[in-house]
Amino acid sequence: MSTRTNEVWAQATDGFNRWVAGDPAGLDDLVAAMTPVLWHVVRSYRLSEAAAEDVVQTTWLALVRRRAAIVDATAIGGWLTTTARREAWRVAQGDHRTLPVADEDLEPRIPAQRSAEDAAVQHDEGDRIWAAVDGLPERCRRLLRIVAFENRPDYRELASDLGMPVGSIGPTRGRCLAKLRVALMQTGEYR
Amino acid sequence: MSELSRDALLGIVRDVWERHDPVPEHLVPAMQAAAAMAASDLDVELMELVERATELVGARGSSSYTLRFVHGDTDLLLRVAVDGDRSRVDGWVVPPEPMTVRALPGENPTDWSSVVTETGRFELTDLPLGLLRLRLEPHDTTRPAFATPTFEI
Repeated sequence: MSTRTNEVWAQATDGFNRWVAGDPAGLDDLVAAMTPVLWHVVRSYRLSEAAAEDVVQTTWLALVRRRAAIVDATAIGGWLTTTARREAWRVAQGDHRTLPVADEDLEPRIPAQRSAEDAAVQHDEGDRIWAAVDGLPERCRRLLRIVAFENRPDYRELASDLGMPVGSIGPTRGRCLAKLRVALMQTGEYR
Repeated sequence: MSELSRDALLGIVRDVWERHDPVPEHLVPAMQAAAAMAASDLDVELMELVERATELVGARGSSSYTLRFVHGDTDLLLRVAVDGDRSRVDGWVVPPEPMTVRALPGENPTDWSSVVTETGRFELTDLPLGLLRLRLEPHDTTRPAFATPTFEI
């Protein structure tokens, strides 16, 4: 996985270790490092912003309550993302706060509201790249978003969340990456 | 083609999501506050929930229920009434003891508090819905604070 993801994981481990050793700032640093990762992982489950924030908070409260059970500090990032995905999945299954059709599902079909200023630059490179990612099939969008933000997602849980056999996650990820590669090439930004 | 390795592609995916569905600005500080508050509560002794009863009231959107918690010799009886998106808690501490009762809603570090009267009663009004816990802080400082487990309104 990329250097940057590894850095986040290392910061998380460092913060966790300092917190367990009695430094409250360690918990602050751990939360600052991992909250963005949790946000992106949780939002890939079609949760509204409010529901996603609740899931992220539930994850942090679970960590505080169960910290004694976490033996391997280097696995703290994975513990958090797994806990968050489990909770996001649970909430997405039947919580009334879940939007039946999440905003992100509509985006590919409804042109996003843009300000005049945005409109002037909407054909810039960034927008074409976004369109390539955004135009992927729903399953690919979700899978790639999770894989991009997590270090080593647990394929077994991921498979059950996405309604796929565990053995097909790897090949599906490969196909999704291939689709994205083609879409990006078509933007003309990559050769 | 060579520059679009797996890592490069995943890096692109990260970048676009960070731009198009950014982490809400308040989220990190709010989570730091929630985690810190939960961590500080680790030392607080927890009351035990011994009874819960729901009584549905006729009016649309309003309902109420009672909860009873016990800790040592202290009994805490709560009547929680929900009206729309706000709620109120009427409490009764037995035996009565001078203490401050603080409501700690899950998402918001702002707190609601009330001092127990001579008869052991207190009330907390205009509380948000969601997860809530009450922390009871006896004015007798030799007595440790204790708290209810989190319950959902």
